[in-house]
Amino acid sequence: MITRFLNSKWIKVQETWGVFVNELRRIFRDPGVVVIFFVATLAYPILYNFIYWKDNVENVPVAVVDMSHSQESRAFLHKWNASPDITITHYCTSMAEAEQLMRAQKIHGIIYFPTDFAECLNTGMKSAHISLYCDMSSFLYMKAVYLSCNRVMLEDMSRIQVDRYQAMGMDKQFSWMLVQAAPYTETALFCESGGYASFLIPAVLMLILHQTLFFGICMLGGTAREESNELFLLPGRRRGYSVLRIAVGRSAAYFLIYFALSAVVLLGVPRLFSLPHIGDPIAILKFIVPYLLAVIFFSMSISVFTRNRESGMVVLISSSLIFLFIAGVSWPQQMLPDAWRYLSYFFPYTWGVHGFLHINSMGATLETTAKEYIALWILAGGYFLLTCLHLAIGGYFHDRQINAAYLRSRRQARLAAE
Amino acid sequence: MKQIFLNIWRVTQRELGRMMLRPLYLFASIGVMGLCTFFFLSIMKRGAPERMPVAVVDKDQSSISRRLCHETNATQSVEIVLVTPNFADARLAMQQGEVFGILEIPDGFYADIASFKQPTLHFYVNNAYTVGANTAYKQLLTMCNLTSGAFQREVLRKKGLPDHLIMERIQPIAISAHLIANPWGNYAIYLVSTILPGILAIIVLMISIFAIGFELKMKTSNQWLDTAGGNYTVAMIGKLLPYTVLFLVLGIGCNVILFRFLHFPVAGSSGRMMLAIMLLVFAMESMAITIIGALPTLRDAISIGALYGMLGFSLSGFTYPVMNMLPVFKAWTWLIPLRHYYKIYVNEALMDGPVENTVIPMLCLTGFFLFTLLVSRRLHDAMIYNNYPLK
Repeated sequence: MITRFLNSKWIKVQETWGVFVNELRRIFRDPGVVVIFFVATLAYPILYNFIYWKDNVENVPVAVVDMSHSQESRAFLHKWNASPDITITHYCTSMAEAEQLMRAQKIHGIIYFPTDFAECLNTGMKSAHISLYCDMSSFLYMKAVYLSCNRVMLEDMSRIQVDRYQAMGMDKQFSWMLVQAAPYTETALFCESGGYASFLIPAVLMLILHQTLFFGICMLGGTAREESNELFLLPGRRRGYSVLRIAVGRSAAYFLIYFALSAVVLLGVPRLFSLPHIGDPIAILKFIVPYLLAVIFFSMSISVFTRNRESGMVVLISSSLIFLFIAGVSWPQQMLPDAWRYLSYFFPYTWGVHGFLHINSMGATLETTAKEYIALWILAGGYFLLTCLHLAIGGYFHDRQINAAYLRSRRQARLAAE
Repeated sequence: MKQIFLNIWRVTQRELGRMMLRPLYLFASIGVMGLCTFFFLSIMKRGAPERMPVAVVDKDQSSISRRLCHETNATQSVEIVLVTPNFADARLAMQQGEVFGILEIPDGFYADIASFKQPTLHFYVNNAYTVGANTAYKQLLTMCNLTSGAFQREVLRKKGLPDHLIMERIQPIAISAHLIANPWGNYAIYLVSTILPGILAIIVLMISIFAIGFELKMKTSNQWLDTAGGNYTVAMIGKLLPYTVLFLVLGIGCNVILFRFLHFPVAGSSGRMMLAIMLLVFAMESMAITIIGALPTLRDAISIGALYGMLGFSLSGFTYPVMNMLPVFKAWTWLIPLRHYYKIYVNEALMDGPVENTVIPMLCLTGFFLFTLLVSRRLHDAMIYNNYPLK
């Protein structure tokens, strides 16, 4: 009964198995694909971790223009310089001098104390002003300079406020309660370090898996087209195709390899480089099943169009950045125009990356990530059908071509005989 | 001499014919560049992140906590999408990526603040989404500080102080931040002006490798050399000429769109920005010749080209500063044309800095040409003998 079912017209396990084995053979015999599947997938995450090794921007050089020459400004600078974000490298006598340094990119921030800074603080008749000039060539400079300065300012402010209320005749405890009427705490709930690597690299890991699969499958598809046989045919036969067996057999080969690779990359890399990894490993493994299937069938349905092995890469290389931005990782999803956002729902990466971030970086469970998980299953199903459709259409035209060629050769042979 | 120009023209004519036969070239250059320009400019149309979703855990549910919500919501940068008495709900919403920040107002906040018991506000951000988290962080920090400020104002008013004296007591120090060259904190100006040249750079690299490598792969390189009268240099120039024209038009077009039509700031000379993007195209073509020369097998060259090209974005240092990289990567950045382009962009467009900061990167970009000399012999041999595996 079971044997009959397995050998039925639709399933034919033996043939599917044949496609599967043949695809594995094709992958391992092709050095280009091996490089993309194995070397790139494992080397890229490590390379990126070394590039973004320091996570947070530290010791941004800044210049000081202190026109007040006061105890107060020096105390402020002392505290500011103690923060790891910045280092005061230049003391300038005029704004013009500091501006020159900024233009020459020797420093990335300028702090300016006006002449009346100490006077304002001491007399208490006016607010004292500090001007801060931030280099916007990288927003990370701006963040480091601005936030660290702001923090020192807020600390100082409470102290000065208390002093003033005491000067007004309030007692110390009362003025403290007035100033800190509602104290606050700030907590980074997830990704405590707030660094660049711990935000970007988990997203890049998912992108690397996506793109290496995508390019590898397009390359294999292109090669098959160049050799003009194996894409639409069952191996070892000149004619005849079975869409279902080809789609299942080939995707199983990719899935087998990538499930192992994903486990190594997604579970290993965050632990190796102390990136956020508060998620349940089992939940991650369960989550990547539909992700990989969706990516595999997405890539297979596109690979049908690549005519030779290199052309896919030439056209699709820029897609990495588009996937990264349209998914709403580097740029908030809420800011995407509606049309792009709806389009992004058709890409497996969009769902995959958010789901992975939720589980890995924010400790969500598979149940709370149900939206992404289900969406990926739907996409996997949809792209599976699309792959079958493309294979069927491609196979039909391929068959016609072969028939035409066969008839042509018969006709020529007949003419030659005559 | 005349013969040389004639030969270049013959190779170019041959190449134009090949380009027409394969739509790949035009699609991969004009199509991809056009799509990317449209895409990146449209997603960052609004410049800075606005109305980032946050949640409020209102355990107090008093008039003052509602007022705090209302005032938070009135700001441009955040929007309250969830008000709940339960912290677990808000945390779940954050875990599902629906909010970037949470403000928690404790139970009895109103009563406590009125009786000087210093109730503590808590706020939380989710750094896994850095842009949203930063925006929410700044706004929630401001709101928390304003809360104490507002309370002080009430007390001081009751004590009969005039408003102008109250203000300097509440805020004895103020920081005014000046954001140089991009006062709006506009992400489009920050990111797009380097991303688009970066995409162009990758397109130049991949198409140039493909155009040369495809001749080797299809064993047509001898015919190509014959058209050029057997001269390697003539063959190269003639072949790359039509692509170069195309790339230069795309590069200049891209900068015209950014700096002329969209009025991205140019503090220095926009002419030098045009020169910079032209040099970027030449530098990437040089790298393409170097890569296909070092690996005269199309498939290997394409793979290596893709790996090298994608690293350019990270190593150019336009998001994560090179200053912070490990020494080995600092050295590596010198081999990335986009890095030099970015330096010129910062110096010319943002800073209007000293002229040597533009000239030195420009010389570096020109210097990439020297790499092609290293492989010219090898590539010439490959073209004549097709002595590398062709698959």
